[in-house]
Amino acid sequence: MTWDIFTDLSAPIVMGLLLGGLYALIALGLSLVFGVMKLINVAHGDLVVLGSYLAYAAMTLLGFDPILSLVMGIPVLFLIGYGIQKFLMQRAFGISMEAPLLIAFGISLVIQNFAQIIWSPMSRGLNPSYAMETFNLGVIHLPVVYLLDFIAAIIVMLALREFLKRTYLGKAINAASQDNRAAQLMGINTERTYAFAFGIAMAITAIAGVFLGLTFPFTPQSGISFLVIAFGVVILGGLGNILGTFIGGMILGLAQTLGAYFFGAATQMLWVFLLVFILLAVRPQGIFGR
Amino acid sequence: MVSGFGYMVKMEKTHQEALLEVSGIDVFHGSFQALWDVSLSVRPGEIVALIGANSSGKSTLLNAISGIIHPTKGNIKCEGRDITQLDPFQIVGMGISQVPEGRRLFPGMSVLDNLIIGSYSGRARSNRKQNLERVYELFPRLEERKNQLAKTLSGGEQQMLALGRCLMSDPKLMLLDEMSLGLAPIVINELYKVLREIRERGITILFVEQNVRRSLEEAERAYIMKTGRVVLSGNVAELREEEEVKKAYFGI
Amino acid sequence: MNITLPQWNRGLIFAAAVIVLLIVLPVIGLPLNWVLYLFLFFLYLAMANMWNLLAGYSGLISLCQAAFIGLAGYTLVILSWMGIPFYVGIIGGAIVAAIFALLISIPVFRLSGIYFAIGTLVVPEALRIIFLLWRPVGGGQEGLAGGGAGYVLKGATGVSMTELYWFALIIAVASVVFMRIILRSKLGLGLAAIRDNDSTAASSGVNVFRLKLSAFVIGALITGLAGAIFYIYQSYIEPISAFNIRWTMTLILATVIGGMRTEEGPIIGTIVVVILHFLLARYAGISLLIQGLILVIVMLVVPQGIMGYLRQFQVYRSLLQFVTRR
Repeated sequence: MTWDIFTDLSAPIVMGLLLGGLYALIALGLSLVFGVMKLINVAHGDLVVLGSYLAYAAMTLLGFDPILSLVMGIPVLFLIGYGIQKFLMQRAFGISMEAPLLIAFGISLVIQNFAQIIWSPMSRGLNPSYAMETFNLGVIHLPVVYLLDFIAAIIVMLALREFLKRTYLGKAINAASQDNRAAQLMGINTERTYAFAFGIAMAITAIAGVFLGLTFPFTPQSGISFLVIAFGVVILGGLGNILGTFIGGMILGLAQTLGAYFFGAATQMLWVFLLVFILLAVRPQGIFGR
Repeated sequence: MVSGFGYMVKMEKTHQEALLEVSGIDVFHGSFQALWDVSLSVRPGEIVALIGANSSGKSTLLNAISGIIHPTKGNIKCEGRDITQLDPFQIVGMGISQVPEGRRLFPGMSVLDNLIIGSYSGRARSNRKQNLERVYELFPRLEERKNQLAKTLSGGEQQMLALGRCLMSDPKLMLLDEMSLGLAPIVINELYKVLREIRERGITILFVEQNVRRSLEEAERAYIMKTGRVVLSGNVAELREEEEVKKAYFGI
Repeated sequence: MNITLPQWNRGLIFAAAVIVLLIVLPVIGLPLNWVLYLFLFFLYLAMANMWNLLAGYSGLISLCQAAFIGLAGYTLVILSWMGIPFYVGIIGGAIVAAIFALLISIPVFRLSGIYFAIGTLVVPEALRIIFLLWRPVGGGQEGLAGGGAGYVLKGATGVSMTELYWFALIIAVASVVFMRIILRSKLGLGLAAIRDNDSTAASSGVNVFRLKLSAFVIGALITGLAGAIFYIYQSYIEPISAFNIRWTMTLILATVIGGMRTEEGPIIGTIVVVILHFLLARYAGISLLIQGLILVIVMLVVPQGIMGYLRQFQVYRSLLQFVTRR
């Protein structure tokens, strides 16, 4: 009889783990921006959802497959990120402590309202044919998208890591985040470097948005849930720690799927919020943090 | 012979346009005035010392030259061009590089990466390979430890890395802020020896050094600062005779 | 606490005259529309003052004010279902909000600045979900938006608009007086020190945690009070609007436009915001967009707000001197 419980639970457990990949992907952009510029972008969740909407637009207007639409989505979000940092945040840093936060808050609401005007408050989803497929893992049936999410997360994270380690720009980003002044003294244009970093973070966010849209339905209001998730992953995993980010994502994913399993789907986000809150109370530096 | 470091300079000190010319600058930290009407000049190939007690404004002056902070009055010129309001990375591009106080290495990056980052500016990037070889020649220990993380090096090795990193930017003028801070005398000696080799390649040096005697031994000219002003300047030989300076052996 | 009573000067006389005028307005036949807008102005002012206390003077960018408003509102409504009169209900709401602030302060105060903001951002959202699922008094009103999670206030017809208006006016004036007193008190100085530098303040003997907590709880109390009064007016409550981010946006805009860290700022800012709401009433769909843009632009161009900007001018300073002379 105990085996029954095991098989019953195994679906939400595996799904939670795979979901962790998606959450790690969502958190990656936030983590990059925070690690480099010490800025927590409260508009992050809304930017992820914006990525989802862009893919949706490509799908409904041009008939593109969402993943392929990234060819357009990535540059668009890259430019948006570059612009936000260069024209808004850079200035905000010099104004006051709270300026970047308030500006990001403003941007967040602008994006939410913008999405609502164009795409209405109805929930949308990215539903190409393969989004409906399931596959079998032993006795469990899992949606294919969950696996795709996980694979995508791994690919993007490895790509980012190599980029930061091997390219000049990557090293400059690294240097600027470790010591801004020293980086400037080395001849690095830190303003431009930050703008690139934000742009790259947004490019990753575009990818996250697409996979998000493939996995869950979304509304203009969804942004805050994903901000909380990203934030939770960053706290759990510690900054700059790729493995930690993955594990953090998985823990939150499990909280959601198991919460949904035991208490019903309507409450699932609540468990995630609760977990993040408890984490903040107990160990704000994260499991892997210093 | 064209070297990777510095630029080819004829060692005639007759008609030389100043490599660096600071004219009457005032610098403020918020509402606090750190520099008062400071002037200074450095000619190509020279080695000039900045001497003074702890809050005399030496670091502020170097930071003003490097563009970290901007003067509210006066100007700074490099080879005749006005660099007063330029950003730090542009000033590095013009050939003025600083080895900051406390070294400020990138602790999480390897020795090699730290050196490579030093050659970020466009000018230096094309000579990167040669410059790297020269740095390894000057500091063989850095080559040995090239894959180690910067934070695992000893104090002296870190200073060498900081110097090497600065050299990678192909500077014409090196600004050294308290190179000897926290280092043992033997190590300091070694560093100054290397500094002499660097000079032989045509690089000009402006350095800040707490140890007055050492400064006067190594420099050709010096500026003495006190509470944000230049109180004395001139050839080292003349300065040694000055009453103020004699007091400095005990006083400053 | 050393309260220095203000001397009568021109400015104070002027303020007193204005208040008397405001008291009398609804009685002498001001159109209901205007009464309503003034009513909202008073409530927003009280809340904006509190936000100024938190964000402007204490460095706590709280994005969870909507939580206090909604909780106070729900408390009021629930109490009304249990037959408890409004006067008690309002106070009950305020107390519930304050207790809630106390509870969440434990996790949320471990976070500084930016982390704090996100932590507080989550709270109203979580409450929204909770109240969507939880039916405190069993069976909501079907037909109201929010899938039956909305509640009507029982006995809402027992209070006149004029009475509500006076309630709100009292709260608004109280909040202004309160700010004046607090900022000159030990609490105020301590908060200013904390805002400047947490660790320096701590090493000077300031009990950082307790001061922040005081500001946070007091802010919750008064914000809750104002919120509860609002729900007497609106006479129904539902999760999606009770815990909506629009509240937060309104308060932030009012304080930022008027001038953070100034006493008069929230007053001016709230006037602007109420006018803005009036103008945007027809464009509810894009109102948040416009407000967001305004926030970004104001932060970039005039971050010190109207009052902060005016202070730079000699004209204003002279005016101030004129007004404060006896």
